[in-house]
Amino acid sequence: MSKPITVAAVAYDAKVVTIWEMINDYFRSRGIANDYVLFSNYEAQVEALLAGTIDIAWNTNLAYVRVHRRTNGHCKVLAMRDTDVEFATVLIAGTTTGINKIADLKGKRVAFGSRDSGQAAILPAYFLAASGIDVQKDIRLTRFDLDVGKHGDTGTSEAAVLEAVTKGETDAGAVGDQYWGRTLATGGVDRNKVKAIWTSPPYCHCNFTVLENRYAKDLEEWTEALLQMDYNNPAHRAIMDMEGLKRWARPQLAGYKPLFEAVEVVGYFNASG
Amino acid sequence: MVVANAVCDAASLSLGEGLEVLLSRKLDTLAPGQILDVHSDDPSIEHDLRAWARFTAHEWKGMHAENGRFVCSIQRGTAQRIITTVSRDREELDTRTLVLEAAARIPRTAHPETGFSPRGAIVEKGSPEFPFDVLNADQAWNPEASELYERAVSSQWNAAMDIPWNALPVIDRESERSVCQVMTFLAENEFAALYVPAKWIPRIHPHFVETIMFLSTQICDEARHIEVFVKRALSNGSGLQFSSASTQRSLKTLLDREDFLEASFLLSVLGEGTFLDLLRFIEAHAPDPVTAEIARRTRIDEARHVQFALAHMKHAIESDSSFRHKLAAAARDRASSLAQARTVNPLVEESLIVLAAGGLEPQHLPNGVRAVRGLYDTMHENRIKRLQLIGFSKADSEALSQSHTPNFM
Repeated sequence: MSKPITVAAVAYDAKVVTIWEMINDYFRSRGIANDYVLFSNYEAQVEALLAGTIDIAWNTNLAYVRVHRRTNGHCKVLAMRDTDVEFATVLIAGTTTGINKIADLKGKRVAFGSRDSGQAAILPAYFLAASGIDVQKDIRLTRFDLDVGKHGDTGTSEAAVLEAVTKGETDAGAVGDQYWGRTLATGGVDRNKVKAIWTSPPYCHCNFTVLENRYAKDLEEWTEALLQMDYNNPAHRAIMDMEGLKRWARPQLAGYKPLFEAVEVVGYFNASG
Repeated sequence: MVVANAVCDAASLSLGEGLEVLLSRKLDTLAPGQILDVHSDDPSIEHDLRAWARFTAHEWKGMHAENGRFVCSIQRGTAQRIITTVSRDREELDTRTLVLEAAARIPRTAHPETGFSPRGAIVEKGSPEFPFDVLNADQAWNPEASELYERAVSSQWNAAMDIPWNALPVIDRESERSVCQVMTFLAENEFAALYVPAKWIPRIHPHFVETIMFLSTQICDEARHIEVFVKRALSNGSGLQFSSASTQRSLKTLLDREDFLEASFLLSVLGEGTFLDLLRFIEAHAPDPVTAEIARRTRIDEARHVQFALAHMKHAIESDSSFRHKLAAAARDRASSLAQARTVNPLVEESLIVLAAGGLEPQHLPNGVRAVRGLYDTMHENRIKRLQLIGFSKADSEALSQSHTPNFM
């Protein structure tokens, strides 16, 4: 086997090592040499991709948008998870706040997650703006800037939003639909205190990003091998359960349009570079 | 609007309160691509179900209002919750006989990857392999096992309550010492009879559950026997006596045997079989009613173990006659490895003589000696009968019985 293809990921949790060791094994079984490096934050990972020290970056949607901006679009998406395709933001509200729709948020206390979380901060601001609510003027905003650099992967800021709404410390808040659905199903939501009032239009989340000039036959083969991972195969299921998907999907780039617009609307890169 | 393949009423149930259970059960009955309509009175159902459908890999098809209620449509995804090769559709699940037949079907050879699943269960692919190595029905199963298990369960007794301990009289010192030596010997033998099945249970495939369950009762029996023999030794003044190296050596060969059929043959057909006569002898010559009752009750249990082993060997030899040679070879092998031990622990033999003689009076000792010689003859005759019963010729049976360890077990 030749020099391995190097994939970078952000270590938002200790299980990331296990996941990537399993993915290495998976690729090895398909005759592809794969290796991984881990970063503590997406900004460093993006710089490594731009510098060509890694081949593929397992990016959040925000990290992808950053790469896209820095390369003037000369980048390529290889694949994403089925769960990344129709991601959404859910607005939640206290059941006694009288908030039942977006317009009711005016004048209310609203909590967002980390400022670098697409689902819990950047996109919510964008969607509220599209509904005529200026987050600077029309609501009293609280931000839970937790685990900054990990783009919301750890879920800690979403947990803080849910807790604040549950305790009545804020009237409403924004979380990702994955966080909401899972927390509901595992009994982590007090239904007497919190309810969902709005689901955003769908958008795309994580993807495998490469530089356009790095894309070649080896990465094409890597992508095809990845897409063959099968949830109904017990050897693959363990990896897919840990990584939170049931099927790898081909890129659906239109799904990033909301975030491209959102970073402009909220001036994300003006503030964050 | 898409036409639903199934409908369920969720009332105002929400996720986390059981809605996820209702939905999963309903979706399980659908084929990938089919639609489930969920009727709900919960105004926030749309947001919750859309999120849930996504991470469970079903497709959210939208919501509409109908007669003042919310109707959410979910399309069943392709991911199987449990990966199996067997598909058990609803009709099959409702057919009791099919389900029972699956549980009743004894496999000729069991597969290690079915693990601890009860026989007849549907096993998910990707389960780990277990280190079971007794996998063939002809070695691991017999048709009398389940009946003997039932009998064992209904015949359990209590070493503290069911023995008339209060009836223990003061007896002469020599008789008491003899009882205690015999109890010590019985207890050490019963440890072997406990450890040998205990060693094999983890190696026998769980699909031969009748055997596993019976052996579990055997272990339980032996535990009680150890308790009762030790208690008797400790209860009347003399205490535990000597355990000989030759006895230990003989018992260790049972534990060392690396074949279940061979180990079971040596332990239960030859060893425990021989013990039946020993226990009957002790009951007949016991100097007190407690010792007699102990010998009687333990013999009844041991008889069950012998019956199990006889049924087991008979079944094995009927399935494959080459097992007869294998078992005979195992008995000869054991005999040659124990060649230096020509007699039972002399202290045990003396004790049996003293018990049969009723003490050390010179005029009675010859009776004791005769009785013990008679016991050896009876043991030999009964071993021959048992060996013939499971399919050995008379000549082979005689030779095998002759070479049996003088340690009895």
